[in-house]
Amino acid sequence: MRRPVLLLAIVAALIVTAGIAAPPQDESLTVRWVSLSTGLAMLQRTAVILSLLFVWLIAAIVVTLMSAREIRYSSVELRASALHCFALGLVALTSFVLTAIVFSYFPSVIGVPLLIALAVFAIVAKIYGAIAVFHALGTMIAGARSREALDRRRWLRGDLAMVIVGVLLLGALRLIPVVGTIIWMLASVFGVGTALATKFGRREPWFLAWRPAES
Amino acid sequence: MKDACQRYLEEPEANQGHLAVCEQCRALFDTLGLSVEERPVSVGALPLAPWEGASHRPWPLVAGGALLLFVVAIAVCFWAGVPPLRVVQSSLTTMQNARGFVSGAAIALREASLVVQVGFGLLFVAVNTALVVLLRRAPRGIDA
Repeated sequence: MRRPVLLLAIVAALIVTAGIAAPPQDESLTVRWVSLSTGLAMLQRTAVILSLLFVWLIAAIVVTLMSAREIRYSSVELRASALHCFALGLVALTSFVLTAIVFSYFPSVIGVPLLIALAVFAIVAKIYGAIAVFHALGTMIAGARSREALDRRRWLRGDLAMVIVGVLLLGALRLIPVVGTIIWMLASVFGVGTALATKFGRREPWFLAWRPAES
Repeated sequence: MKDACQRYLEEPEANQGHLAVCEQCRALFDTLGLSVEERPVSVGALPLAPWEGASHRPWPLVAGGALLLFVVAIAVCFWAGVPPLRVVQSSLTTMQNARGFVSGAAIALREASLVVQVGFGLLFVAVNTALVVLLRRAPRGIDA
């Protein structure tokens, strides 16, 4: 019963998110030759992406040094239940957009502080989640499979190394023109999902369970 | 406690035969409710735990990775003639676009018919209900 509901939620959230991100247009897809100005624009775009990747790397190092255990827990959760994290991320991002529209609908005295709080929460979830995705990707690609392999390694071990490997790998993929953007967006969805699924690595429940007092 | 008993307790795998000959240790294990028939756990055969070696900090790799990315970013920025301010500007533009989209959607919603507004309200409730349902599931990464 849970799986069909989960799949339906994913499909519904995908349609809503895709509709918001790319509204239907009449323009047909045309193939164009890359002109000099287009090439320069692509190069400038690459430069901006690389600079942002460097900022991501510094942020990832700082956050991993501050809370390595939380990042590791989120990374383990992402690898153990990826579908749940993806569904949660999609639904959460859709919820962020819809909630932001509702807050903008309110009078600005109430709406603006709520919007700022929502934006801060969304940005924190995105940054933390992305770092957890870096860790998960780094562990999947470069993580030691056995104790002997771990002992042999001098540099390529530990949370920090996995995060660095993940940033460099995902960053390299991000540079691919169209596919890179899609991969980065998918990583964001996974990241927000794992951040919320583990409550930012604290593994505590979001809601308290109500239980009647025993007499 | 004899030296052999001490050695067994410290390294059960290396002194497996001790339990068969030492009455005292068997009695101790019985008192603690531990089965003396069970073979000691072979730590080496267990799968690698996520926390093993996790605290290791390879600073040369960190510095190398950061330096590599920094040099490549600076070189490409210089080549493409992109000033550092453009990077900040790009991030701010993305934020402004998102803000513009949300404001535009809110204005459109305010001017929309009652049916559309009710439909949006229902969508909002449905998505947030799905979010709460998904958030109620306990994380299972470590137990998986």
